[in-house]
Formats: sequence, structure tokens, C-alpha cells
Amino acid sequence: MSDTATKDQKTTPAVEMVSLTIDGRPISVKKGATVLDACRQENIPVPTFCWHPKLRSVGACRMCYVEIEKFPKLMVSCATEAMNDMVVLTDSEKCREGRKAIIEFILLDHPLDCPTCDKGGECDLQDNAFEYGLSDDTRFAFRKARKIRDKNSTFDDLQIGPEMVRNQNRCILCYKCVRANEEAFGEYDIGAYQRGHNTEIDAAPGGQVASLYSGNLVEICPVGALTSSDWRYKIRVWNTQTVPSIDPYHADGANLTLWKDATKVHRATSRMNDDTDDGWISDIARYGYQIATSERRIKAPLVNKNGAMVEVSWEEALGVISRRFKEVKESQGAPCLAGVVSPNLDLKTLHAFNKLFRGALGSNNVDYRSDYSNLPTDADSTYGFMASRSFSIDAVASSDVIFVVGSNLIREHPNVHLKTRRAIFEKLSWLYTANPIVTKSADCSTDEMIYNLGTDEVFLNGVTLSLIQQGLADKEVDTGKIETLLIPNTLEKCAETCGVSVERINECAKRLANSKSPTLIAGELVSNSIARENIAKSFYNVALLLGIVQGKRGQAAVLAKAANSKGAEALGLFPEISATQTATLKNQFQSFPELAGANWDAMLSGAQGEDIKAMLIFGANPVQTGADYNHIKKSLESLDFLVVADLKETPTTALADVVLPLSSFAEYDGSFTNLEGRTQDFCAGMKRIGASLPGYEALNRIAQSLGFSLYADLSSLQDEVSELLDSYNAPERKHFLMESHFQAPPAPQENSLPLFAGDALHHFGHWTEMCHSLLEFNPEAALEISADLASRLDIQTGDSVRVLCDRGDKGNKGEKLILKALVSDILEGDTLLASHNFAAKPVNCFTSRDSRVSYVRIEKIEKQ
Amino acid sequence: MNKLKTISRTDDYVVLSRESRPVPDPGVWGMLRTTVVAIPIGFITVFKHLFRKSVTIEYPFKKRPMFPRYRGLHYLERYEDGTERCVCCGLCAAACPADAIYMEPMENENGERLAKVYEINMIRCIFCGFCEEACPEEAIFLGQEYEFATDSRDGFIYNKEKLLVTHPRPENTLKKMWRKVRRFF
Ligand code: SF4
Ligand code: SF4
Ligand code: SF4
Ligand code: FES
Repeated sequence: MSDTATKDQKTTPAVEMVSLTIDGRPISVKKGATVLDACRQENIPVPTFCWHPKLRSVGACRMCYVEIEKFPKLMVSCATEAMNDMVVLTDSEKCREGRKAIIEFILLDHPLDCPTCDKGGECDLQDNAFEYGLSDDTRFAFRKARKIRDKNSTFDDLQIGPEMVRNQNRCILCYKCVRANEEAFGEYDIGAYQRGHNTEIDAAPGGQVASLYSGNLVEICPVGALTSSDWRYKIRVWNTQTVPSIDPYHADGANLTLWKDATKVHRATSRMNDDTDDGWISDIARYGYQIATSERRIKAPLVNKNGAMVEVSWEEALGVISRRFKEVKESQGAPCLAGVVSPNLDLKTLHAFNKLFRGALGSNNVDYRSDYSNLPTDADSTYGFMASRSFSIDAVASSDVIFVVGSNLIREHPNVHLKTRRAIFEKLSWLYTANPIVTKSADCSTDEMIYNLGTDEVFLNGVTLSLIQQGLADKEVDTGKIETLLIPNTLEKCAETCGVSVERINECAKRLANSKSPTLIAGELVSNSIARENIAKSFYNVALLLGIVQGKRGQAAVLAKAANSKGAEALGLFPEISATQTATLKNQFQSFPELAGANWDAMLSGAQGEDIKAMLIFGANPVQTGADYNHIKKSLESLDFLVVADLKETPTTALADVVLPLSSFAEYDGSFTNLEGRTQDFCAGMKRIGASLPGYEALNRIAQSLGFSLYADLSSLQDEVSELLDSYNAPERKHFLMESHFQAPPAPQENSLPLFAGDALHHFGHWTEMCHSLLEFNPEAALEISADLASRLDIQTGDSVRVLCDRGDKGNKGEKLILKALVSDILEGDTLLASHNFAAKPVNCFTSRDSRVSYVRIEKIEKQ
Repeated sequence: MNKLKTISRTDDYVVLSRESRPVPDPGVWGMLRTTVVAIPIGFITVFKHLFRKSVTIEYPFKKRPMFPRYRGLHYLERYEDGTERCVCCGLCAAACPADAIYMEPMENENGERLAKVYEINMIRCIFCGFCEEACPEEAIFLGQEYEFATDSRDGFIYNKEKLLVTHPRPENTLKKMWRKVRRFF
């Protein structure tokens, strides 16, 4: 491994320009750019097949021929570096001849099945053949080879992935799919097999193309060789229109394009935005639009009449809601009302929700963090501070050292994950990951440090101590009393407790300290932990010693999880908001409740006691995705009145007295604020399903039935949102080292295994269960288990496994579920991952609200 | 004089009319020619035709064969083995200037593409034949049939079942025989 200093010299040359002439136009480009880059910079059209803006050039297709003076032959512009004084012709007779010959060669062995091909209408080969290759006088005439598997079939398509169909006859061997998969995604599940004209693009032997980014391969294939099962034979592309949209699940804010016709949305593709996504989107974002068209959507309001849910009109449902809310408010007071909203809803809805509760009903009990437990109660928590640090996704790709702690990055932030890969691939950056479980990032990280479960802060304290011991800490920070601040307080003890050796911690600390622009990322394993405040303090200490929180270099943040978590934070959808936020909100709402509000934890305990009587849950599904199924269920059951608004029926709506139908993101205009604080708008792609309403409209109707009005017109609501977002300032503080005391979690019982409940690879939250394409990847709740453990217990993928919880001291003792085993090639050790995305399997019955790690026992169910 | 004359003018259009010509006085010979001479000539002409072969066709009972390139009611062709030629590529609908064609594709059990819904709205159709020209699979043709009036709008929506030729193609022997027999009359 080379030293950092030499690497820096290598990667930072001064920007040198070269000037050349293209089609008579003088152009100057950065040194190292290709002739094609220069042409594109000036919008000079050059046809391409194998070139992609985010991949390295290979010069495989030779379609991008240009004529360069003094070069005896035509040159491929995508692989020719621009030089000073080059004279380039892109549209000369010779060029056109050359391109025509290439099209002729390609069409020699390309079937003319455009009529049945899904790519027809958006195919590069069609367009280029039309432009350069239309002639009947081919110099070659022989039968086209047909590459098929099954000689008896008339049909050449082969399903090579859950959502991917390959037709090898159409492939022009540009290798874009294989290259993107390896270069950009770090996946190796698609490859080119055989040689020469027998080359086949295929899934790895015995496997399927099922990575999280598989849909992108279909999208970049220039011809119809790779097509997606979802879009297959649905509609012709010229019969659709496009609208811009945003990934409604992840906080990355990947940009989407929705393709719609008069009736509905038919597919989603990427919309290149270098700031967030580089044009790559996860399959969850790609197929997630299917929540809009799913059969499982609720189409009309439901009211519980004598134990049965009956479809009613909005008027009737609103009548019930207003009557019961008024009753509770008059008899018990406004603080008995509580509201929980999902951070996957748009900004207008979140603000209307806040306005309904705080402005109209007069209750401060609002929260958006229903997935978490043991929430911070003071406004200036270190966790809140670290979660609100400014962060740029694009800066990840250009930072030289990336440090990820407590995050299964690919599942939480697919686009940040790709940016880390890009940094490693392009800039040879160092990636250090520290997790209690092995994640996908392991295959590209310099060091994957696996610390013991529940010792997140110990590991971070180890890094802090190492920075101080090696004299690498920021000189302005007072590190004198460090022994009194941390427990354990020596590097050796930390290393011993967390299980990562001193050398590795030292190495990581050294690299971080020598970095010019480090990126520190903490993820969901921190946010979701009940010790989040303690971990955040340790994380803060590391960032402080590196000079990051003081703004000297780099960036560090606990990343928000959901599409609009950042928005919910900026709009103040939690009880302990800062004084400035309160002031702005007071200004906007006519009245503002004085009493401090209850957060999600307090709401639950309040519901079991006498404090909370009625609740409105908007888009969230805590019974399925929150921690501790039994506790949440019991709390919600003991409410007098529960209204739930959602897209589909969930375990939470099953407890409700009134269920309201919500529209999905594809049915209305709105905006999300991504984890960087970037607010991006999305547009409606189709009519609303049934009687469903966008959140803000439903809330306004509820308010109207109670005698208030939330907004006169939508633009006024939008103005209020903009004002709040503009006036939002991330908390500031005086910087000094924080104390972080580690308490060892109780030791697990014999034979029990630690279990994490979270998202499956191809799911996010509780809505994606409606997307039939995502169900092709992960059809049901799975128990992911490492290969090592699987062989010890003699479990194979697909086996049924009984999961028992016998440690839970509270309600979850003796819980059991039967899950399908999924042997993961990434996981190591004994840790189990269970997916909480399926209503049928409430795996959160194993998690508890007051312990950091959940332990279960598993046993294989023998087939009869 | 058969001259055109402008009789009114607005900013947008001009209305033209022919100048009327004065009728000349026929005179005595003229009167005799148009009465005493012309009437018998007329009778002779009419009675002559009574003994000639008639040129009109008793339309609903007899039909004139259409020209080979006549553009009548559409039909969808099949291959010899009976499978549909149409792959629902959508090009006919794209070419149609009257927006008369609607289709939805589907996948059959072999994974091949074919039409789930294929409809032509004959009220919209202007029988231009562009669909036939656009079709890459030689699936759609405009046939010779022109009698398809019905008494409901829905009756003019021709779906796939109505458009597809029957399989196996009926041997039209009866019709052929009838034509032969008719020659004798
Ligand atoms: S399948 Fe498509 S992307 Fe892959 S090599 Fe063939 S043409 Fe290129
Ligand atoms: S004949 Fe012309 S108008 Fe009628 S369906 Fe075909 S393309 Fe359309
Ligand atoms: S009739 Fe011809 S042009 Fe029309 S959809 Fe079928 S195959 Fe395509
Ligand atoms: S685009 Fe240049 S060789 Fe393919």
C-alpha cells in the first residue's frame, strides 16, 4: 500500500487545458479529456453505443468514429485523448462511411425484430441505423446466427434475473452492462462468457442477476438485449409521457423519471443528477412506483362498525373523527391527543400535520420517529447535533478517506454506497467500515472492522484515544481530561472490549488524521440503538479531534434514513424543537400550545396509562416497523380512538377505528428534503386511486370537520413550508470533548444468537411489500444467516426456521415466528438479520425497547 | 359571358358569383324542334334501351366486385398454422392519422408478444390504408368489404376476434358455385 503523501502528489495535478478544433470550432478542454468529451461539451453530436458518462471507455463498438487530421485512419473519439492543435471532423464523408460500415457489421448479426422488441422507440441502434446505416447493398449476405438455449422453442429470451430478460441475438457486445456492474456497483453477477461472436452475456453460473442495482443494467443497455420483466410488453415508449420524480424511500433523494400514459404510471427510470445519484438508482426506487398501481391499496375510508371495517364515504369518516376528537379534547384536554407521521410523506403533508396538531388542536404531541425507541428528550442532544450536520453526497466521491460506522450502507443509502465505491475506484480513496455485522462494503473497504455487538461507542472511543495518543488530534481541542471522560479510558481496554485490535484502530486513526477531506458516516445501527446518544457523543469526539465539526475539513454526520426525515426535522415534527423553530411556528400558527409535548416513547407509555386517549397515525406503521411489537400493539389497543391513514392495510390499521386512504407519491405534486437538506420536487404521474387523497388534503378535511382551516390554497401552505426550511438553522454549540460512558450489555444466554430486524435488501419500510417486482427479489420475510452458521445448523436457503425469543424480560418472552432462511454470502459470524417489511411476519416481536441487542434461538423445521 | 364577378368582400374571404346570361328567344323553328321532333326521339331512345342489357346492378341482391386495391374493412392475417401475424408492435396505431387503433400487448405461454386487445374504431377510421403500409409483419390489411353499417356505436369497434380471419380459412365453394351459376342468367 502506498503512503498517503505520495498518493496526494499523484492525484492533484494543476488543471491544464488543451485546445483543439472540432468541425472548425476552437474548443478547449481539461487535459486528459477525450475527443468525445470535447464534442459533448460543445453539443456536437457523435453517435455512441459502448460509451457511458460514468464508466471508463473501452472502445468496444467503434461507433464514435471521428476523422482527425494527420491520423491515417478514423479514430474512436471515446478512447482518444484530446491533444493540443488537433483538427477533428465529426461529420465528414469518411466518418459517415465508417459509421455506416459499423452499423452494417452490427446488423449482420442483429435480428430485425424491432416490432417485438421492448426497446423499440428508444433504441440507440434504431436511431443510429436510421441516421447512418440505411442501405440495402450490404456486402455480406448469410444467415444470421440464432443464439438460443432451447432448439425447440421459437423464442430466444431467457430470464436471467428476477426482473431481467436477456435476448442474446440482440446484444451488440458493448459490455456496458458488465462494466457498470463491476465498476460502478461492485457486483459480479453478470458476465460475458465464451469468446468472439459466441460471446454471451449471462448471469454468473448457477446464479441470477439480482443485485440491488440490476435495473440500471437494463436501462443502460443500448439495444433490447436486456429488458425488464416489469416493463415487458406493457406499452410503447412513444405512447408515454415523462414526469420528474424523486425516490420516495431513501434519504439519498435519487432523481427518477416516471413514464406515464393517460391511465397510470408504467415505469420509473433514473434522471441523472450528479449531486445525488450519478444516474444510478436502486431497484427499490425503480420498482417502488408500483405502490401507486398496486391492487392492495385502500380505495375508500374504512370505519370500524361493531368490529368489522366498513367502507364509507369521506364525509362519514370525517364525521366520526371530528366527533370523537372533540369528545376527547373536551373531556380530557388537548394534550390527550397525539399524532405520529411517517417521514416518507412530502413536506406539505408534514407541515399540515404539524399545523393540525399544534395550531388547530393545541397539542404538542407530534413525532415522526416511530421506528425508534428511547428517543432523546432535550433539544440539544449530541445525536441531534450530529444528525443535523451538513453533508454532501457528491463530496463523498471526492473525499480521500471515508469512515463508516454502524451502517449497512447499501441497504440504508444505496446512492451514498455507490459514491463511496466511486471514490475508491476513481480516486483510490481509503474506506474504513466499522460495524457489528459484515456488510456489502467489506469487499471494497481497506479494513472492515467488526466490533462486538453493542460496543459501538467503545470502538469510537478507541479511535478517539488513538488519535490523542498518536498526537494526531486537532491542536486546539483540549484533550487534558480525556481519562475522566471516557469509559473504558485506555486504548487497550477499548480494543479488548470491542474486539478490534489496537493496530487496526491506530491505522484507521492515522489515515483519518492524515486525510485532507475525510467523510465520516454513521448510520442506522447508531440511530436505531437505544444508546444512540452515547454513541453520538463518541462519534462527535472523533469528528471534533479531526477538526470536522469545527468546519476545518471534510464532513461528518449521522445520516437520516427516510426520504423526508431531514424535512420533518426542519419543519419541527417532534416535541423538543428549538426556540427559533418554536418562534417561527408560533408566527405561522394562530395559537401554539404551551405545554411540552410527549415524544413517541412517552405517547406509548401515556397510552397505556391515562395520558394519551386518541391518536392519529399518518402513513407510519409502528406496529410492524417499530421496536417491540407487543408493547406498541398493547399501547395502541388501549387508546380510546385511533385514526390511521395509509396506502394499504397494515397491522397498525388493523387496530384503528377509522382508516383513511392516502395517495402515493406518484399521485400528487410535492417535495422531499433529502439527507443533505436538498429539497427536490416531484410531480404527479397519474390520477389518485379510488377516494384516496394526498396527505395535506386529507389533513385539511379533518381540520375543516373540526372547524379549522389549514390553508386557503396550496401556494400559501407551500410558502409556509419554504419559510420554515429557509429559517431552519442546524444547532450550533461550543466544542469540547463529550463524556461517553460504556455500560456492558448483559451477557447473552447459552445458545442464543443476536438478531437485527431491518430492511431486506430489496425492500424499504412497509410499503414496498405492494411492489410485485420487488417481491420477485425478496418474496417473503427472510432470516439472513451466515454460511458458516448455516452449515453448522445444517440450514439451506429456503428452509423454514423457527425463531424463538426466550430472553425478553418484558412482553416478548416466548415469541416465536417461522421464517424462511436465506444463506447470505456477505454475513459472517452468528448475527442474524430478519426483514421487517412483511406484515405477515412481525419480526419486531423479538426486538425490545430497552436493550441494545436482541437474542433469539433458532431451530430448523424438518420437512415432513 | 361566363365571367366571375366579385359580389361581396370581407377582410377574410371573397364571394364570387357567375354573371347570369340573358336567355335568347327560340323562334318558331326552335319551338317545333323542342316539341314535335324531340318527343318521338326521346321515346325511341327509351324503348331502344328496353331491349338492351341493363347496366345497373340490383345492389343489395347483386354486388359489384371491388377493385383489387380497394380499401375496405380491415382484417388481421394469420400464418398458415393459424397463429396470428400481429405482434402488437403499435406501428399501425402510430401511423394512423385518425387515431383509430387501440391495442394492449401481452405475452403468450412461449413468451412471444401478441395482442391482448386490438381494436379499430371504424367510425374514426378514414380508410387511408396507412396502417397496412406501416405494418412490418404483414398482419393488417384493408379488405374488400364495405357493408358494415350497424345501428350502434359499439358495433363499429372491431376487436381482435372480429378482425382476425377465421382459421382454417373457409373454402368458399358455395360462393364460387353461385357465381358460376349466375353467369347463365
Ligand atoms: S446486453 Fe446490452 S449492455 Fe450488455 S453487452 Fe449486450 S448490448 Fe451491451
Ligand atoms: S385506414 Fe387509416 S385511418 Fe383507418 S385505421 Fe388504418 S391508418 Fe387509421
Ligand atoms: S397490425 Fe402490424 S403494425 Fe399493427 S400492431 Fe400488429 S404487427 Fe404491428
Ligand atoms: S462509443 Fe466509442 S467505441 Fe463505443
